[in-house]
Amino acid sequence: MLSATYEHVYLVFFAMLIATVLALSGGVYLTRCRRPKLISVILGIAGSIQTIPSLALIAFIVVFFSFLGLPTIGTVPAMVALVLYALLPILRNTYTGIRQVDTSIIEVAIGMGMKPNQILLSIELPLSLTVIMAGIRISTVWTIGVATLCGLIGAGGLGDLIMQGLRSIQLDYLLAGTLPAAALALVCDWILGLVEKWLTPEGLRIDT
Amino acid sequence: MKAVDDLSIEIAEGETLVLLGTSGSGKTTTMKMINRLIETTSGEILIDGRDIRRQDPIQLRRKIGYAIQHIGLFPHMTVAENIAVVPKLLGWAVGRIDKQITALLTMVGLEHGEFRDRYPVQLSGGQRQRVGVARTLAADPPIILMDEPFGALDPITREQLQNEFIELQSEIKKTIIFVTHDVFEAVKMGDRIALIDSGRLQQLDTPGKLVESPANSFVAQFLGQHRFQLSLLTMTVKAIMPKMNEEVPSPDESVPSPHLRARSSMIEALDMFKETKEVTLPVYEQKQYIGNLEKSRLIEAITQVLGQSGDSQ
Repeated sequence: MLSATYEHVYLVFFAMLIATVLALSGGVYLTRCRRPKLISVILGIAGSIQTIPSLALIAFIVVFFSFLGLPTIGTVPAMVALVLYALLPILRNTYTGIRQVDTSIIEVAIGMGMKPNQILLSIELPLSLTVIMAGIRISTVWTIGVATLCGLIGAGGLGDLIMQGLRSIQLDYLLAGTLPAAALALVCDWILGLVEKWLTPEGLRIDT
Repeated sequence: MKAVDDLSIEIAEGETLVLLGTSGSGKTTTMKMINRLIETTSGEILIDGRDIRRQDPIQLRRKIGYAIQHIGLFPHMTVAENIAVVPKLLGWAVGRIDKQITALLTMVGLEHGEFRDRYPVQLSGGQRQRVGVARTLAADPPIILMDEPFGALDPITREQLQNEFIELQSEIKKTIIFVTHDVFEAVKMGDRIALIDSGRLQQLDTPGKLVESPANSFVAQFLGQHRFQLSLLTMTVKAIMPKMNEEVPSPDESVPSPHLRARSSMIEALDMFKETKEVTLPVYEQKQYIGNLEKSRLIEAITQVLGQSGDSQ
């Protein structure tokens, strides 16, 4: 059970890392993009990926990979599926989070002579952090869930135990799979909540 | 359609120039062209004789103070951090920034120990605007742009801040470009007023001359029914003083007593008479006695202005 949990964490962690980096940069890029059509297209695609049932997406990737001669079982296709799934909440939240920063604050920042990436790092990101973190949290919890399906394609993880338990209707396998998965989701959510609090600038935390 | 069409203004160092006009008149656009938030499509803007289009806009902006109506304090930074923004961008040493923060907070009337580490959300509107002014002055820029900075405040706080700012102006002697739609604020704050409509300059004059001799019908209409009040606010005591009689001795200056300044407005003079209940008050120009003003003379002058305002409908 421990090794399964470890595999699971491994899958989720790296998937989230890649997804966060991609989605954060993508989200920032979208806020600078001057073509509203392009923005809606990109958000639309990311959204559609989410609506595909996770099982179907995994299956689709397997087929697609076999076409390309890429490995169809194991960690690689699993990662691809997880990353794709994790993208949307972070992407969308990064985009809307930054967009809802008060434009007069941005105007003042420009008027004072801040460079665009100074504005991004010291103004836009701190002020949109809560929204972005919410996206990361949702994404993480969800990914932990989707990762259980990756047991089907031999990626290991807790999904493996769950599948075995289902096939042989053995309760202890089932429990060995589902309980850690649920616990993992709860713990990650809690930790990320703490991270969010830690990163939130004090000025926004105060209850007046 | 051009936002700014025909505008040529020369602003003197240390002058407070007010850009006055209604919404959409082009006054804010004009101001924003100075720090290149909006780029000109034709014409040129020179600061100290140098074309601003040849300078790096970011470096340019760091040397020009910028204050807006909604203040725009960064909510995730403390008061001190807000004020320190431009000095940090300019690479000031930490000690120097620290001293500057203390000096500025004191200058705008906020106790520095108490307010340094507060967040904007913990401040009242008036306090926020004071921090905004401090932030604008932080890097000691020679030029300051202010876009209706007191507009978002209640009338009482607004008047208080205007008065404090006027006092500040005389201390800091910066070149200030001040945008407003409020003609009363304009005559109060400005050394000269540029009245703008549809992107065109209608009149550029001192408040007194603007009110006294409107250049065209637009200006006259803009002043409209406020002309009488504005006259009282812009006409000075000096304008109605009698010729100095050589035989009148200077009053005893060792005893502090109520007096008027030559550049006090007629309204201020009225207030003083009312408060002190005197019928005559000594008038000083730059600490030099120039005669006494009789209350009766003041009232007569006011009546005359009233008559003039009525006739010029």
